[in-house]
Amino acid sequence: MVLEATMICIDNSEWMRNGDYNPSRFQAQADAVNLICGAKTQSNPENTVGVLTIAGKGVRVLVTPTSDLGKILACMHGLEIGGEMNLAAGIQVAQLALKHRQNKKQQQRIIVFAGSPIKHDKKALEMIGRKLKKNSVALDIVDFGEDDDGKAEKLEALLASVNNNDTSHIVHVPPGPNALSDVLISTPIFTGDSEGGSGFAAAAAAAAAGGVSGFEFGVDPNLDPELALALRVSMEEERARQEAAAKKAAEEAAKHEKGEEQPSSSQDATMTESASVTASEADNKRNDITDEENALLQQALAMSMDDPASSHELRDTDMSDTAADDPDLTLALQLSVQDSAKDSGSQTDMSKLLADQSFVSSILASLPGVDPNDPSVKDLLASMQSQSEPQEKKDEDEPKEEK
Amino acid sequence: MNKVDLVDFVDWSGVECLNQNSSHSLPNALKQGYREDDGLNLESDADEQLLINIPFTQVVKLYSVVVKGPEEEGPKTVKLFSNKEHMGFSNVNEFPPSDTAILSPDNLKEKPVVLKYVKFQNVRSLTIFIEDNQSGSDITKVQKIALFGTTVETTDMKGLKKIEDH
Repeated sequence: MVLEATMICIDNSEWMRNGDYNPSRFQAQADAVNLICGAKTQSNPENTVGVLTIAGKGVRVLVTPTSDLGKILACMHGLEIGGEMNLAAGIQVAQLALKHRQNKKQQQRIIVFAGSPIKHDKKALEMIGRKLKKNSVALDIVDFGEDDDGKAEKLEALLASVNNNDTSHIVHVPPGPNALSDVLISTPIFTGDSEGGSGFAAAAAAAAAGGVSGFEFGVDPNLDPELALALRVSMEEERARQEAAAKKAAEEAAKHEKGEEQPSSSQDATMTESASVTASEADNKRNDITDEENALLQQALAMSMDDPASSHELRDTDMSDTAADDPDLTLALQLSVQDSAKDSGSQTDMSKLLADQSFVSSILASLPGVDPNDPSVKDLLASMQSQSEPQEKKDEDEPKEEK
Repeated sequence: MNKVDLVDFVDWSGVECLNQNSSHSLPNALKQGYREDDGLNLESDADEQLLINIPFTQVVKLYSVVVKGPEEEGPKTVKLFSNKEHMGFSNVNEFPPSDTAILSPDNLKEKPVVLKYVKFQNVRSLTIFIEDNQSGSDITKVQKIALFGTTVETTDMKGLKKIEDH
């Protein structure tokens, strides 16, 4: 929520006609500018944003720093493409515009879109950078388009001379299928320095990243609650159907084997919430296991079902891990190794992997824009683990997720 | 009237310094305790100039100023502006300073610089522009800045008490 005045420098040179960014460089740039303006004004209502163009006949200020988003978006219409970019002049004019801002308490920031070759040399850019630093102006650079004549190094040198305590950033966006705005959303340019993103940025990031990040089924419940609910319900129904099929298969399997108990029902019992320990029976022992150990046990069960011989080592490590925690659990695991009449119908390789919570969280952590500690991610993990939960528990999860 | 150290009347929420090195910042030179430590300095960053703005919590009269610094990198030309806020390096030379001081090595050893008292009768904020340093090096270092003067009789709102009803 930093109070900031921002000047955005738009490159409207001839190079912007190029279509290597979808639909054209200029359009991609305009979208990115719109998003940035929205994010800035939303993160703090007193923030102001101004826009100027740095190519064409000369540097032209389209709108001076204002908090009126409509004015900013309106000035983006009818912009003409042409000429060459003049980076130095653009930055200097931006600095001047910021100097004359109405609210002197605002921090000064310039965001530059550099999509065409730079004709200045490194020294000149460094001088400009030092002047910005001296007047405590932060600079964000978006480097896109072709990289020739050492454009990237020049911009990096500029950034180095401006940067004061990581308040300035640079992003290199190579041409490709990803939209310019999507790439920018996850950068500190959008999220502000260490805020972790305003709500706007976070929601946009989640929507852009799709699928597994933060929201189930890639649909934001805030944006489209009915769709999200429909997807969730159909997923639960599918799970229930699969579970019923698995139960049936297990029952038939149990009839053929010398198994002591109904393996499917015992598995259901293990999946549900913890209960107290009773002495000798393996499934009762499993009832007192928490979600964490549940995952381990599920993995052990899966291993024992598929191939008791080859999965010994894995289970041994699992067991040694848990040995210190819970001797009862160790006993249960050992029993499960011996007990061969287990239901294996619905267990696929995928669900085995997904049951390993640590594996899933490590994957999720490596995805950009996903925070494993996010409550909706945790809910997703929990619901994925306990696939055969009864309907009531799922209903409990739903109102939680819809918050 | 007795001259007092005006550090107690500095409005810390509005104190600003342009071109300071963020790890060697203004409180090192201005605040009680930090300024006594010669190891803690205010240093300039991109070049040798510094622009410091100090607002006060009430109106003061400024009598003298002490600027302590190392022999080589200590400040030389110091311009003082009374009641001119929000200046930048580009327009600081457009206004005539209320006073200019060229610091001698003695001044850098805590000998006070006496100012043109008449120019500083009604000071709400003081801007100090350090233009260059003794040796011309790229970094200016300041160990201590102390301001001496008196307060003008202004009403202390906290001192106002309700008259008891009998």
